[in-house]
Amino acid sequence: MSISHKNIAVLTLSAAWTTLTSMQAQQVPVLETNLSNGMSVLLVERHDEPSVAGGWVAHVGSANERPGITGIAHLFEHMMFKGTTTIGTTDVEKDFQILSAQEKIREHMRAEETKMRSEIRRGAIDDLQKPENWSPKYRELQQQFKTLIEDERKVLVKNEFDNIYTANGASGMNAFTMQDMTAYFCTVPANKLELWMWMESGRLLNPVFREFYSERDVVFEERRMRLNSTPMGRPMETFNAMFWEALPYSWDTLGWPSDVSTISKAQADEFYATYYAPQNLTLIVVGDLDSQKFIAQAEKYFGRIPCGKKNPPDLVTLEPKQVVEKRLNAEVAANPQVEIFWHTVPFGHQDSYALQIFGQLLSTRTGRLYKGLVVGSGVATDVGAGQYSMKWAGFFDASGEAAPGHTPAEVENAIYAEIQKLQQDEVPPEELQKVKNNFAAAEYRKLNSNMSILQSLIWSTGEGDWREINNAKTKLQAVTAADIKRVAKQYFTKENRAVATFTRKAEPAKSGVK
Amino acid sequence: MKSFNIFLTALAGLFLISNTVLAQEIPDRPEKLKFPPLKYEPPVASQYRVMLKNGIVAYLVPDHERPLINLTIYVRTGTYLEPTDKSGLAELMSWLMTHGGAGTNTADQLDERLAFLAANLGVNIGDTETTIGLNLLAKDLDEGLQILRDVLYSPRFQEDKITLRKAQLLQALKQRNDDSSDIEGREASFLSRGEKFFESRQATSNSLASITKRDLEVFHYRWFCPSNFVVGVSGDFNRDEMIAKLEQLFAGDPREIAMNKTIARGTLPAIPTNFTFAAPGVYLVNKPEVDQGRVTMMLPSITRENPDYIACLVMNSILGGGGFSSRLMGRVRSDEGLAYDVHSRFPGGVYYPGIFSIGFQSKSRTVAYAAKLCLEEVRRIAAEPVTEKELNIAKKSFINTFPQKFATKSAVADVFVGDEFTGRYVKDPDFWKNFRDKIQAVSAEDVQRVAKKYLTPEKLIILVVGNKEEILLGHPNHPAKLEELLGGKITELALRDPLTMKPLKN
Repeated sequence: MSISHKNIAVLTLSAAWTTLTSMQAQQVPVLETNLSNGMSVLLVERHDEPSVAGGWVAHVGSANERPGITGIAHLFEHMMFKGTTTIGTTDVEKDFQILSAQEKIREHMRAEETKMRSEIRRGAIDDLQKPENWSPKYRELQQQFKTLIEDERKVLVKNEFDNIYTANGASGMNAFTMQDMTAYFCTVPANKLELWMWMESGRLLNPVFREFYSERDVVFEERRMRLNSTPMGRPMETFNAMFWEALPYSWDTLGWPSDVSTISKAQADEFYATYYAPQNLTLIVVGDLDSQKFIAQAEKYFGRIPCGKKNPPDLVTLEPKQVVEKRLNAEVAANPQVEIFWHTVPFGHQDSYALQIFGQLLSTRTGRLYKGLVVGSGVATDVGAGQYSMKWAGFFDASGEAAPGHTPAEVENAIYAEIQKLQQDEVPPEELQKVKNNFAAAEYRKLNSNMSILQSLIWSTGEGDWREINNAKTKLQAVTAADIKRVAKQYFTKENRAVATFTRKAEPAKSGVK
Repeated sequence: MKSFNIFLTALAGLFLISNTVLAQEIPDRPEKLKFPPLKYEPPVASQYRVMLKNGIVAYLVPDHERPLINLTIYVRTGTYLEPTDKSGLAELMSWLMTHGGAGTNTADQLDERLAFLAANLGVNIGDTETTIGLNLLAKDLDEGLQILRDVLYSPRFQEDKITLRKAQLLQALKQRNDDSSDIEGREASFLSRGEKFFESRQATSNSLASITKRDLEVFHYRWFCPSNFVVGVSGDFNRDEMIAKLEQLFAGDPREIAMNKTIARGTLPAIPTNFTFAAPGVYLVNKPEVDQGRVTMMLPSITRENPDYIACLVMNSILGGGGFSSRLMGRVRSDEGLAYDVHSRFPGGVYYPGIFSIGFQSKSRTVAYAAKLCLEEVRRIAAEPVTEKELNIAKKSFINTFPQKFATKSAVADVFVGDEFTGRYVKDPDFWKNFRDKIQAVSAEDVQRVAKKYLTPEKLIILVVGNKEEILLGHPNHPAKLEELLGGKITELALRDPLTMKPLKN
């Protein structure tokens, strides 16, 4: 590892936090360096609160999955809280013996699951979630597995990873998995930064995936909660799957139910070896810390993690250009509405800034969709629009809820009419300035606390370039009316869009809602 | 060796060699790490407190890191002041205050101007407290305050915007049965507070339709007056200048002359406390189309002035409030994999007792079993003392996360304004100063005593929303019967008509 002169120069600028006040000038003083094993490090000194928000990003998400193991990135995130060789057990040798015995039984269970899936294909049984469909042998194996769980509990220290953080005053400890990234973070009191390094480097170096199969069930419950049991969860999952043809954005980070319930511990181990190597990780700390001291300690703690033998595979798929409009007509338990997606551009693309401005021109209460559709013609009661730039691709979303007496089709056409105006005429300067003012103010608002700065850095590095935390604002302010008109024409074509119209599913007579 | 200097870190190549040496310095257990002391004293309210000339109390917390100002006015009003047949009035009024025009500006002009300034102005109506929030760039403060004054003293409540907002609210009413979590929240409130208690009252299509512009004007005029305000400001300003600006902001309400002869204003009726808690038992709402049941288990809790409050905080943290370190999480989620979210809450009410609750969501067929586990934990924490380890984790968590309560300047302003508003500043001015000592003093006996006193299974209400047939079927690997949980029958609650809130016939 090394610290370049350039980095040190940036560091000395950190005192500038409080003195720069002009709209364009406030930069987050980020210090960037690398550890000897290839792990990236980003630091921001901020002495406002006696705490440090610490996190790290694994540059892997559901986009790095394949059919059969969809949902593994997210399941893996859950497993990272289960402890290490020293945290979470009173006897690691015994623990490993039990885990290996559990895997042997699971091998047999997987063989039974293979048989049961073939029964499903033949129509002999329906749903593997139903206990009545389990074969007698499978039930017998479940009982054997249960005995081993009970053995495991004798050496298990329940949720010890969390216990240690909790007792030491960590707060907001959590993690999330997206298409392009998995991030782990918490806030610790300023004097406990070394504990954070101990804990996080420990779980990266020697994780133990104990309680794997009960956690898999937890993740299945998460799917039920977010997708299966919400009115728009499954319908939007369907629409998304229809929109992406080649890119692995077509499945939700929660994965397909069949996949989530068959992911094995061996697959999780392999996933860890491939994607959790230091060269695929970025460490980020924001708060009341001494940068140089931190870098030295980070080398000591995180630098000990061996570099991965191979770099993770690149995602080579480029979404093919869509050639025909796609349509989904869905009946759902919700008010009539329309959702339109257009293929646009990924994070950091030169057009992404104009598209973001375009999104703001359309959305918000003083935006064109609200004025045109809600206040004006009254075909909609609510509208929305926005550009979503992800690492490998992006899309633009416009939506609206039909007012009583109007149809989703009317809302759809009204949205097109507003877009057409922006394709034909340049946006007036005052309107463009209004939108830019909001982007400028948002830059300040997102720097509210150590944790909010950390989250901004997690997001920008996860999508491809942490420098966007400072650079995006200039590019947004540079967007011209001509740029807007150009992107409006270029991306918002019929062939490039997918449209979902939702109408309210007829309910039993008791409901009385039309 | 605790600290490395920069030269050592710059010796790039040597690190590979010295890694093993350095690694040896890393202890095998976190308890062996030594931390420098962290001395932290919370901010003191009186240092930020200002009494304005007209008697309004304000808390001013300057913060020059970013050129933003955040101003919040707490108003002693809320849904408790709504006429019973006008449910939805307070919410409608709150939106129209900022989006219905004010002063010389029409609604559209006002929206447009605020958007151009990138200023956020919004009103949030609660049960017993309402906040008006203004967040804007410091350079636009004067114009923002003029707009705020218009919103406070001369809102226009444009008819066309009333019609628009009513249509939007009506759309929302139609979706009331679509998401099982909405059904759960509503029925939980009916059961734990009673349908007539103000907290539970629901707008209907009729109540919305009956609200007139005059109703909005009267509600606004009666309750949005300076004697009901407490103010908090944080951000990039000078204290003395801000005091002068605030005094100007609130001075001389022009409506006094126009309206005070006809409508009495300001004098607040007592906040009702007469909620009713339903008969103990299991209540079920059938929602056949979902594959996961949602469960809320409830008991009355206490007010935060109750001497047991601090012990209850610790007890609840161990039971289910302390995230992954809590018992409910350990058993229901981590051991059994039956729920993603399982938690308990023990809020201390400000004006009347809060509601203790346990909540989780589990696949239909394991709902009863997961509920049984929760019930076992409720009984266990009352039956036997918690371990020293659990007690220690819970207490240290409260103590060590304490500075987070005041992490940002706007949080400091919020805490103090909240205390002023609810009377804690007067009644218990050293609450925050003493908080950590009080937590530290809680013993395992205290925890058991308050658990026994307040977690009384014989009074428990269990509300379940989900697929009745599947839930009652149960699961062979997780045997439990919903109807046996509390030793009685199940009361089935009908879905309600989303527009009238009248129970539908099954």
